[in-house]
Amino acid sequence: MEEKERLLKVLKRGQVDRPPVICPGGMMSACVTEISEQIGGCQHSSAKAMVTAARKINELAGFENYGVPFCLTAEAEALGAGINLGDNLIEPRVTHYNDEPLEAIMQNYSIVDVTAGRMGVVLAAIHELRNDRIPVIGNVSGHMSAATSVVDPLLIFKMLRREPERAARFLEFINEYLIRYALEMVKAGADVISISDPSATGEILGPRNFQKFAVPYYQKIIKALHQESIPVILHICGNARSIIDPLNEVEADAVSFDSIVNIKAARKVIKTGLMGNVSTQLLHSGEKAKIISITCNALHSGVDIAAPACGLSMATPLSNLRAMTNYVKEGSYS
Amino acid sequence: MSDIKSKLLLDLADSVVNMDEEQTVELAKNYIAHNLDPYEGINQGLALGMDRAGTLYEEEEYFIPELLMCSDAMYAGLDVLRPHLKQDNLEDNHKIVIGVVQGDTHDIGKNLVKIMLETTGFEVIDLGRDVPPLDFVNTAKEIKADIIALSTLMTTTMEGMQEVIRLLEGENLQNQIKVMIGGGPISKGFADKIGAYYAGDASKAAVLAQSLVKEV
Repeated sequence: MEEKERLLKVLKRGQVDRPPVICPGGMMSACVTEISEQIGGCQHSSAKAMVTAARKINELAGFENYGVPFCLTAEAEALGAGINLGDNLIEPRVTHYNDEPLEAIMQNYSIVDVTAGRMGVVLAAIHELRNDRIPVIGNVSGHMSAATSVVDPLLIFKMLRREPERAARFLEFINEYLIRYALEMVKAGADVISISDPSATGEILGPRNFQKFAVPYYQKIIKALHQESIPVILHICGNARSIIDPLNEVEADAVSFDSIVNIKAARKVIKTGLMGNVSTQLLHSGEKAKIISITCNALHSGVDIAAPACGLSMATPLSNLRAMTNYVKEGSYS
Repeated sequence: MSDIKSKLLLDLADSVVNMDEEQTVELAKNYIAHNLDPYEGINQGLALGMDRAGTLYEEEEYFIPELLMCSDAMYAGLDVLRPHLKQDNLEDNHKIVIGVVQGDTHDIGKNLVKIMLETTGFEVIDLGRDVPPLDFVNTAKEIKADIIALSTLMTTTMEGMQEVIRLLEGENLQNQIKVMIGGGPISKGFADKIGAYYAGDASKAAVLAQSLVKEV
């Protein structure tokens, strides 16, 4: 079975010969230091370097997909956040927020071209990477993480209590913008869209806020992608115990959890596919035998797709990632 | 303790827990108007409220938005009470350098820890987000800090925490300046491994910091 067929089938809850092993990209990027050094950097700003890095991750780490970009900062940058693109050791990150009032941001950036700038680079890379054999995953930030990357998270989180309607208007604006971007990714040739929302954890928002300020927005973007027949993976960081139930309502094709989440318990509740959740700390600095046993454990606990549990450290050795991917590909799991 | 004082202290704590900034300011003004000790107003009123908010967070009754609103109310009250503190209340405060390690710009957790440390009487120097390891060590040396507190939300930046400890060891300062760490991906196991103290959440960080400075 080819990699693309296998992943798409799993996302439709179909039968496959063995689980796929992927690293979707975005905040879960396997563009580690060893890869970044090989291609000489620029993988965040040049389509050519991005394509080369995505191919090298597939070849050298063994993940059965192409996943771009390798961060979630392009979306925020286009709405006025300041970004440091990082280097071979440190990933891109937001260095300053857009400090205009939310209403001014919504007005000034109402017609941002989602095909320009670094988002345009990502779209060009997806276009170049598309093929019949290996699935291409386009990565987009969840609305809560995008909103709290554009403006100061403290402002947004307080506003959820203080001015809930105003917060909702801004989140709606951000979500519409992300939907436009994700649909462009589909047009460019993405087979799957992966949404990561590291700021929308159960621990940060709590179940009530998650239900009110996260669920309906995911439903909207996922519905828009399903209309194009594109499956969606949703990754939520941290301990998701308190929000596992509402995650069924968003109708993602697979949800991905951090290593702290007990997959056996999640499996009992989650009706869709499950992805995860090999500890990224272990992948960074653990023994290979331990990486294999934890991967085996995730598969036996019920993940449909094996993947790192969260963002990988750039210092993660490729050989550790290969230990994980080779094990899944062998297919015996005893 | 006079009835009016204990009532005002309780009301101050309640208004922090209830996230009511305006009421906290009014109560703090009223408290000062009664000529009551501002130091107790902070420690047994505002800080107690923040402590109760922290407990509600642990009990999953409050989450980050609620805690942030409580801390706004607490700080608003602090702004009223602090100018009335006598000088000797401000002396020999222990100092802590705090920040989010380089590569990470998430600072909610760090801000909560800072709030709890400040309410328990520490002088906290906040280096902000995305801070290079050397900056922590240099600032701690410069101001003669007792503790460096490091936070990260991302698994990707934990390496930087170890680097801070290596730098301290390089200058043989690891016994004078203790390092405490915390944040989403951090475990006690990781802290033990790199030779740091582990704080599970913001209120535990404040308790830990107090016990660390007592050891010195």
